[in-house]
Amino acid sequence: MALEEPQQKRQLGHDEFDPVGTLALIGLYFLVLVAMWLFMYFVEFLGNDPTVVGSLVTGGVV
Amino acid sequence: MSTYVERFPAEAKVIRSAFYVSFVSLAIGALMGLLQTLHRTGVVEVFGEPGTYYTVLTTHGVFLVIAFTIWFLVGVFVWAVTTSLDRGVENLRLTWGWYGLMSFGTALAGIAILAGFVDDWPVVGDISADVLFTFYAPLQAHPMFYLGLAIFIVGTWIAGADWFRSWWVWKQENPGERIPLPTFMVLTTMLMWYIATLGVAVAVLAFLLPWSLGLLETVNPLLTRTLFWFFGHPVVYFWLMPAYMMWYLLLPKISGGRLFSDPLARVVFILFLILSVPTGIHHQYLDPGISEGFKFIAMTNTMFLLLPSLLTAFTVVASMEHGARQRGGEGRFGWLKALPWGNPTFTGMALAGLMFAAGGFSGMINAGMNINYLVHNSFWVPGHFHLTVGTAVALTFMAATYWFLPQLTGRKLFSRPLALVQVVLWFVGMTFMSNAMHRAGLLGIPRRTAEPWYDGFEFEAGVGSVGELNIQIALGGTLLTLSVAIFLVVVIGTALNGKSSEIGANAIPEPLSGPEDSPLVLDNLKLWTVIAIVLVVLAYTLPLASIIDRGGLLGPGGRAFPMSLDTLVVLAQLATEGALSR
Repeated sequence: MALEEPQQKRQLGHDEFDPVGTLALIGLYFLVLVAMWLFMYFVEFLGNDPTVVGSLVTGGVV
Repeated sequence: MSTYVERFPAEAKVIRSAFYVSFVSLAIGALMGLLQTLHRTGVVEVFGEPGTYYTVLTTHGVFLVIAFTIWFLVGVFVWAVTTSLDRGVENLRLTWGWYGLMSFGTALAGIAILAGFVDDWPVVGDISADVLFTFYAPLQAHPMFYLGLAIFIVGTWIAGADWFRSWWVWKQENPGERIPLPTFMVLTTMLMWYIATLGVAVAVLAFLLPWSLGLLETVNPLLTRTLFWFFGHPVVYFWLMPAYMMWYLLLPKISGGRLFSDPLARVVFILFLILSVPTGIHHQYLDPGISEGFKFIAMTNTMFLLLPSLLTAFTVVASMEHGARQRGGEGRFGWLKALPWGNPTFTGMALAGLMFAAGGFSGMINAGMNINYLVHNSFWVPGHFHLTVGTAVALTFMAATYWFLPQLTGRKLFSRPLALVQVVLWFVGMTFMSNAMHRAGLLGIPRRTAEPWYDGFEFEAGVGSVGELNIQIALGGTLLTLSVAIFLVVVIGTALNGKSSEIGANAIPEPLSGPEDSPLVLDNLKLWTVIAIVLVVLAYTLPLASIIDRGGLLGPGGRAFPMSLDTLVVLAQLATEGALSR
């Protein structure tokens, strides 16, 4: 069998095809990104002293 | 419909030859990857002296991201142009000409790097190019390295001209027709490449090569860094755009569907053309000689660059879904089961896309100006680019090879199950290695260090331990090497396999929304090129002027490392003695 031979059961044209599955997956990815950003907040600001503005205790002096 | 090799036998030979150079480079680069992983994680102390580590690191970087990727993509571009215009190359001798030039350049640069494994060569003395893929000053390579690189890039320029010529001749014969999508992708990618390589051409020809020849005493390190990153960031899109091309052209077809939208695909490639280059300074957030405002502009451009990747995620996934639904897939997530997971080309590319989604996240962290400080020059960064170039690109290229080789040779794929194991193994290995690298970077473990062992100091992991991270990295690296070995077995097995009449046709299905739906202005390559150049001028003129103003063209100087002029001195002596004895 050739590699790219698909087993098509029906033909879907432009107007009949509604990519709801794509929307669901991309929505999921968006949620993962938000969760990861939240996680980075903990890594950056709560896990360690802030690396950019100095220490929280010294109010950015050091 | 015929296979590619039946329709274009001469061009198929060019593409095969390009692929084979690419695969040899992959084999060499991957072997160096294994050595490094084992050394860095302390599993085996491979290198006695630190210098060897950097020779290995340079070989790994340059052979994989310059040779493996670019040799593969020139092959893919020949396929894309000839298939979509349905005409052979205009002049086969010219095509073999750029092939020869690229080969010569690869050989020169490759020899200069590999020669670094031996300290002192008879007659010619010391040759080395331990300058890493990011070959800016003050690291200095043997002139042969820079020369090889320059010749290689000129080869790619001529290759681009060859494809533009094909399109030009086709256009004369087909007035008023839209540029076929695959050719459009090649042309926009090459326009981006022409702009991007100007930076490296100036860095190499005006500064690094004369400097390594001893014609210039000093160079301005910040200037060569900035010129390098002028090229060094867009080069990632030079790797990525052909991978995207495979996702747009092959994935829908193999999924059993059609590309969702031709206009969206064009928009994506135009966005890459105009936004890829004016972003390089985001690699220099920690460089003290560039002011924050310029860095902010680079960051803004970089964030815009997420747009074409997110558009691609939508278009490619929607095209796959279209295929799955035509194959009978149902439900919000149920359609995923209807995809051809048994096909190594599909599974490899789909997994590569999935990993790229993860790489997108770590890329956003890298691109953010303040949060970049957290991960800059740490193990996080190789963790990131092993997801992008190391998987999104490399795994896509390997998976695409399983479709291309039968098309290019007329031979059946050696072993489909083995190929499937290979792509899955890559995904698993990279999950271990890259995830652990990201975590190690957050602990502050540095990248590019030959001696990752310290006295009286230990990195502390919040979760797990450094030992656990090391085991994951070593395990991941070993699985990846095994995966490359299997890939090479399948490639060699296919090249030696019997001819088959069961190979599918070399055809790309029509998109659901075709070129007739895309505005004509999208095909106005001149307009997009001008916009791209204007953006580059805006992003780079002031930073470059300020760098030159402060340090001078030939810069505050500094000692080059390592000095590699011995060879030239010896050769000059030999030449003089030869001339005198005559």
